[in-house]
Amino acid sequence: MNRFIRSSAVSWALGYVLLGLAALVAFAVPLWYAWNVTIFAGREEILRNDAQRLTDVFAHEGVAGLTAHINARVGMQIAGERTLLLTDANYRRLAGNLAAWPQGIPETPGGHAVMADLAGQPTHTLLVQTTLAGGYHLLVGRSLSLFLPLERRFTWGLLAAVTLLSVAGAAGAILLRRRLLARVERIRQTVSAIMQGDLRQRLPAARSGDEFDTLSRTLNGMLDHIEFLIHGISNVSNSIAHDLRTPLAELRSRLEELVLTRPPPAETFAEIDAAVSDVDRVMRIFNALLRLAEIDSGARRSGFVRVDAAAVAAEVVEFYEPAAEQKGVVFSFQADGEAAVAGDPVLLAQAVSNLIDNSLKSVSAPGAISVRVGRRADGAVEIAVADDGPGIADVDKPRAAERFFRGDASRGSPGVGLGLSIVEAVAKLHGGVLQLLDNHPGLLAQMVLPLSARTGR
Amino acid sequence: MKILVVEDNERVARFVTRGLREAGHTVEHAGNGRDGLFLAASEPHDVIVMDRMLPGDIDGLAIIEALRKAGNRTPILILSALNDVDERIRGLRGGGDDYLTKPFAFGELLARLDALARRSVDRGAERTLQVADLRMDLLSRRVTRGSRALALQPREFKLLEYLMRHANQVVTRTMLLEAVWDYNFDPQTNVVDVHISKLRQKIELDSEPALLRTVRNAGYMMCDHE
Repeated sequence: MNRFIRSSAVSWALGYVLLGLAALVAFAVPLWYAWNVTIFAGREEILRNDAQRLTDVFAHEGVAGLTAHINARVGMQIAGERTLLLTDANYRRLAGNLAAWPQGIPETPGGHAVMADLAGQPTHTLLVQTTLAGGYHLLVGRSLSLFLPLERRFTWGLLAAVTLLSVAGAAGAILLRRRLLARVERIRQTVSAIMQGDLRQRLPAARSGDEFDTLSRTLNGMLDHIEFLIHGISNVSNSIAHDLRTPLAELRSRLEELVLTRPPPAETFAEIDAAVSDVDRVMRIFNALLRLAEIDSGARRSGFVRVDAAAVAAEVVEFYEPAAEQKGVVFSFQADGEAAVAGDPVLLAQAVSNLIDNSLKSVSAPGAISVRVGRRADGAVEIAVADDGPGIADVDKPRAAERFFRGDASRGSPGVGLGLSIVEAVAKLHGGVLQLLDNHPGLLAQMVLPLSARTGR
Repeated sequence: MKILVVEDNERVARFVTRGLREAGHTVEHAGNGRDGLFLAASEPHDVIVMDRMLPGDIDGLAIIEALRKAGNRTPILILSALNDVDERIRGLRGGGDDYLTKPFAFGELLARLDALARRSVDRGAERTLQVADLRMDLLSRRVTRGSRALALQPREFKLLEYLMRHANQVVTRTMLLEAVWDYNFDPQTNVVDVHISKLRQKIELDSEPALLRTVRNAGYMMCDHE
């Protein structure tokens, strides 16, 4: 029972029933009051006037005149409409349609509602008594029993309304609770299935579009997103495990071989140096992953400033120029004036650096790499790095920026397979995209950064 | 140099103190924040190595802030496992002079400590730098080797200036990246090496004695003696 009351559906329904009852009371009480005023005050006024008229008759025509007048009126009127009684000072009946002076009428003049003995049965009557000169008593009254059926109907009506409201409210509460519970229970079951690991479960959502369906659809959207993220995380974890295993396996075998073979010191130190390089490689992967996580979290956006992307790219180009020269690659840079964006200068530099790094690795002399910074018609800043190397195969392009993805062409070259992931993450952080296009031959990598960085996730 | 190492990890502390002692420095070690603060405040040191996260109620940054508030200006290198840029900035803003992420190569630590200690000694505004017969005039921006004038690009000038300011000290590639290019990421190709070899071609003709040496597994060093 306690749980039944605590159910929100039930408490809402009960609340509405109580509100309905309060409305009924608010309606009935003033009506009842008005009704009573009409009966007692209004009727009493009429009776008083009647008594005054009879007093006037008494004043002009004496006891005999009044007696005759009362008898005439009693003879004329429809029985029971008006109660009249004239007695002497000792309450002996002189005229009227009452058999005797009724019991329980106070001495004081004025109107009284009493149970009077009318025609042998006690009747609820409103009486006005007047004492005339000479001690005569006059009683003018009217039975209230005429209104009894009306009052009874009113009371019954009120009771019926209260009952209907209570019963319907209680039934509504039970049905509503049952219906809500059923739907909440379905949601709960689905959610606990999801919590137990079945992420493909979705909440039932009909097309009716009520609040529950809207809620279900929103939650399903959230679940889609969570599933996507978890899928991404498990993919990345698998890749990390796989890509770290290689250098760690090398490291392990190197150390184990040292222990087993115990080579002369010179050779041992060379092997230890190589082992340190293996560790450095693992660390590089970790650092790149941490950097990616940092960029993905979006926290760096708080440090955005106005950056001239052209100036940033120019510096990176200058940084790489000797390396390109040494490799025998023609390196060119072109910028159409200033290209201001809201961004993180260090991250933008790293992104450009990664793109140039990739190109430098893939191009063989005599090749060419060109870096271009410009503004598109829509105001977006475009940083493009193009080379005439082998490029990325069309089938690999959509996956090239995935973490640890390495196309067949780059499988033998150094690097950990995170360079383009970082470029893409930086572009996303700035609300932009990374596009990998064909340079016929070679790769054309473009970072497109919109004017406002607020749109990126 | 007298160096204070505040580091709670015993293995790292042993590795660092042993290495620094072998390099000829006097080393004191504190295993927690309380001892670290006490030692740093009670004795003068040439440089302090401070772990960012220490057990107990005082962490590395709090010690640095306390020292700086008390007017202690000893150069401090922060060691930390936290690598993000915000942490680095927080460390440097909090009063640290350099920031090194764990794990680190010992050579990197040694080179940075040397640079820090040197910086605190000669912070004066020299007008010229000289290593052997290589002279750099910082005002006119003229560089000469003996009687030969050298034509350097602005970035080459900056690179050479940094190397000359840290003459006879090992300078790592990361230090050069940070100081000369202001980059705190590692380019995957050997770009710094290429810059150095280009610079070397300009400052060292075949007939002249070598000045700029490559230190294996560490970086470079400008030497004024053979």
